[in-house]
Amino acid sequence: MFKNYIKVAFRSLNKNRVYAIINILGLALGLTVTILVFLFINDETSYEKHWSGYDRIYRTGIIADMMGQKLDAPISPDPMANAFRTEFTDVENATRIRAVNQEIMVRHDQTKLYIQKGVYADSSFFKVFDYEFIHGNAETALNEDNAIVLTEETAKKLFGDKSALGEVVKYDDRRDYIVKGIVKESKGLAHFQFDMFMALNQGRTVWMSNNNHTYVKLKVGADFNAFKTEMKRNFMKKIEPDVERFMKITVEEFLAQGNAFEYQLQPIQDIHLHSHKDYEIEQNGNIMYIYVFIGIALLVILIAGINFMNLSTARSGKRAKEVGVRKVTGASRKMLITQFLTESIIQSFIALFLAFILVELFLPGFNNIMETNLNLFNDYLGKTVFFALLVTVFYGLFAGSYPAFFLSAFQPIAVLKGDLTKTKGGALMRKVLVVIQFTASTILIIGMIIIFSQISYMHNKDIGFEGDQVIIVPLQTDPMTQNFRNYKGIFTKNANVLNVSRASYFPGDNANQNMFALEGSEEQLPLWNMEVDYDFFETLGVQLAEGRKFNRELDNDSIPSYILNETAVKNLNIENPIGRRISDNFGNGEDVVYGNIVGIVKDFHIEGFNQPIRPMVMRISNQVWFASFKIAKNDMNTTIDYLETEWNKLEPSHPFRYKFLDEKFGTLLRQQENFGTMFLFLTILAIIISAMGLYGLASYTAEQRTKEIGIRKVLGASVGQIMNMLTKDFIKLVLIANIFAWPITYLLAKNWLSNFTYQIDMPILPYVFATILALIIALITVSFQAYQAANSDPVNALKYE
Amino acid sequence: MIKLNKLTKVYRTDEIESTALNEVTFDIQQGEFVSIMGPSGCGKSTLLNILGMLDKPESGSYEFLGNEVGHLNEKGRSDVRKKNIGFIFQNFNLIDELTVFENIELPLLYNKINASERKQQVNALMEKIGIAHRANHFPQQLSGGQQQRVAVARALITKPPLILADEPTGNLDSSHGNEVMELMCELHEAGTTIVMVTHSSHDASYSGRIINLLDGQIVSEKQNKLAQAAV
Repeated sequence: MFKNYIKVAFRSLNKNRVYAIINILGLALGLTVTILVFLFINDETSYEKHWSGYDRIYRTGIIADMMGQKLDAPISPDPMANAFRTEFTDVENATRIRAVNQEIMVRHDQTKLYIQKGVYADSSFFKVFDYEFIHGNAETALNEDNAIVLTEETAKKLFGDKSALGEVVKYDDRRDYIVKGIVKESKGLAHFQFDMFMALNQGRTVWMSNNNHTYVKLKVGADFNAFKTEMKRNFMKKIEPDVERFMKITVEEFLAQGNAFEYQLQPIQDIHLHSHKDYEIEQNGNIMYIYVFIGIALLVILIAGINFMNLSTARSGKRAKEVGVRKVTGASRKMLITQFLTESIIQSFIALFLAFILVELFLPGFNNIMETNLNLFNDYLGKTVFFALLVTVFYGLFAGSYPAFFLSAFQPIAVLKGDLTKTKGGALMRKVLVVIQFTASTILIIGMIIIFSQISYMHNKDIGFEGDQVIIVPLQTDPMTQNFRNYKGIFTKNANVLNVSRASYFPGDNANQNMFALEGSEEQLPLWNMEVDYDFFETLGVQLAEGRKFNRELDNDSIPSYILNETAVKNLNIENPIGRRISDNFGNGEDVVYGNIVGIVKDFHIEGFNQPIRPMVMRISNQVWFASFKIAKNDMNTTIDYLETEWNKLEPSHPFRYKFLDEKFGTLLRQQENFGTMFLFLTILAIIISAMGLYGLASYTAEQRTKEIGIRKVLGASVGQIMNMLTKDFIKLVLIANIFAWPITYLLAKNWLSNFTYQIDMPILPYVFATILALIIALITVSFQAYQAANSDPVNALKYE
Repeated sequence: MIKLNKLTKVYRTDEIESTALNEVTFDIQQGEFVSIMGPSGCGKSTLLNILGMLDKPESGSYEFLGNEVGHLNEKGRSDVRKKNIGFIFQNFNLIDELTVFENIELPLLYNKINASERKQQVNALMEKIGIAHRANHFPQQLSGGQQQRVAVARALITKPPLILADEPTGNLDSSHGNEVMELMCELHEAGTTIVMVTHSSHDASYSGRIINLLDGQIVSEKQNKLAQAAV
């Protein structure tokens, strides 16, 4: 019996190839999206799970509101890790690290290597994060101040096949490290990815200076809440002396003034998807992407499922006779339902097979866009296949059940007599389904336009500086840093080098923050401080708002000059900032050195658009490590070659390595852009599946109305009139779908946009555009069929009946 | 075998009520070959559908093999039907996606006969009605007469005591029609009860009794001497 079902299923598919292709391909695409999303989610939720006892590891952080300046960052002071280890009974271990957020050049003999991800870590690091040691000992590897641990890959690059243990690694020619361990790259994904670990055992005792990331691992069975309470109590005591020393008030007074300061603990397994704080080690993922992708996968599956239901019931006239015969020869309704469900499940399985092929085909592209490293054939393959099978069977049952019940209900006498009026039922249901389908498609179209509007808005937003002709080159050695100001003339000899300057960091980098106070005020405010040179503002094209820029003649070394951005002026709440004095050096109160505020510049962005502009203060310094060159638009490559030649003459040991500032800053947008691109692809996919379904339905309608069309044409209807008749109904459905899609998308988009500090106004245009697009797609799809029907010879149509 | 007593069937639409069968009463004995004749719309197909338990009567009683079946539900009717009744239609009603063999096999499948037995029975029957060489062809590859032979074979395969034929020769030319009628006679001779609806008095002449219907009522009923003589 089952064999018979399968046989009929295949023959029926073969006979109705167009429908079969629409159904199977649609579902295959839907399953492909589902499997990709599943792999993506699997990957995104796997972070940190490879550390032993990962669910007992927490990262500390600070949430503070000081003088209206909010801070939410996973940073911590030097002595914290040690305090955890020595003063808390619930703590198994704790470690502090400082990630290096710039490229480091290391050398062994003549081999140079640029390390992108280096970190300073204390001697407990490998006890909290259990990297696998190939050589050396996790317990003691970072005990000595000159100890360094390399990953296997880094060691291989630097030492080749030679044993690295005990060898010297030169760090930027400034310091010698001894290799004390080689570790395997971490087995799984984590919120940090390091290639090189350098010992960090020296530290200050100050609690108010937060330059580390500290991780604490609790003992098995420790009461987290009790520990957290105890930690807060203990650490708030620790900061008391510092608060009194620096701020001249007690912690109680500090809090009473409306300030807030609190230590936080964050489970490391939550970091990747849920943590978007300042001073993250790397840009983390976002749980929103997971929600959106799940949503899209569901919509795509729904759209494909609706195709299946619609086409099956629409075509039911063709199956009616079969139903009749089967009933007459003894089939019960149950048997028929089983048969039709078997058919839909068979189609689902063919689709599943195709889907796995498509997943393999799409994965490289997906990985490329999302910057992931997903792989179908990984440890999760069994899980993936099981999940896919589950979806497939569920889909087969879900999409197949309506047609199965619908078809099996036919009365044999009616259908065997050729009376198919009853089989034309289900039209209302079909309309409802088409509306749902187009609602889903329209939501995706509007969503896509809004996402791209936001991304393009961020691209075109006035970022306050011009980065497209500016290249950034790190200064790698002390002599180069010291003498760079004397070299400027060498570079500017080339007329295409328009400006040369330096700064401690550039837009797209992590910033530094310090406490500042105006003269005559007890209040201190955290400001981002940036050290620059005299040509910085010209080089970046940052606009002056008030006062003057730094000036070699007017500024002198004994009294620093300061330039603030507009936000700092607002936050400091000063009426006439020029001439006011400010300092970040409070030593012990007696020898505070105040500097003059000489100018105000317009705000410019350092961070991405999900963060507001920070209050910034800039001053002149020679101890800054990044050079920048503004070059003319013409002959850029020649100019860069010139810079490289001259640079390498000055600094032969450290080759010229540059980045364009706009590209560097652009990486802040990259995650959003990747997301947008993926959304675009998935939307196009969903639209294609919808259009295929509509095509099938339209061709069915045209076929069903062949006789009517014939009669109308005999009576004088034009091709246009016939097409109008055939398309009108579908257009109505698409319009109704839009009525549902608009408010749903409005709510979803509002939610998404709230992620951005700088967001587009919710425009009406995407909605109108999406409606028009949906109409055009529907019209093209339907007209194609309608045109054929309208142009067919009426004689054929009449004979057909 | 069949006992109808004041069987009535009324079709209703929103406004119109039309009586398709009006208190029809007759019996059919085991082994009879009965033709039902009458003009279009006289109710003969309705009668055949009710006899075949494809449709329910409005009122009156229908006893089949001694049991009242007129008011069974669909499942009950389906059970009686698949064990006892074979159908032959004017338009053959073969399933296009199934081969000759598979079409004939279908009722056995629904009666849960095992594969080897199915094969043996179907092959034997195809042999008997002369379509064995067409076993793997699909219906659309056959002539009308061949298709109807397949349909007859399908109706016979479960050896049902009753065959209901609805204008079995209506879509066939006369020579193919005669072939099918010969086949029906052979069945009858082998003891099968046959009830046939037909327009054709030629076809009716093969049967042993002819019931004439008009406007849902029996207007005449006569024994067919010729056919009886033939037996």
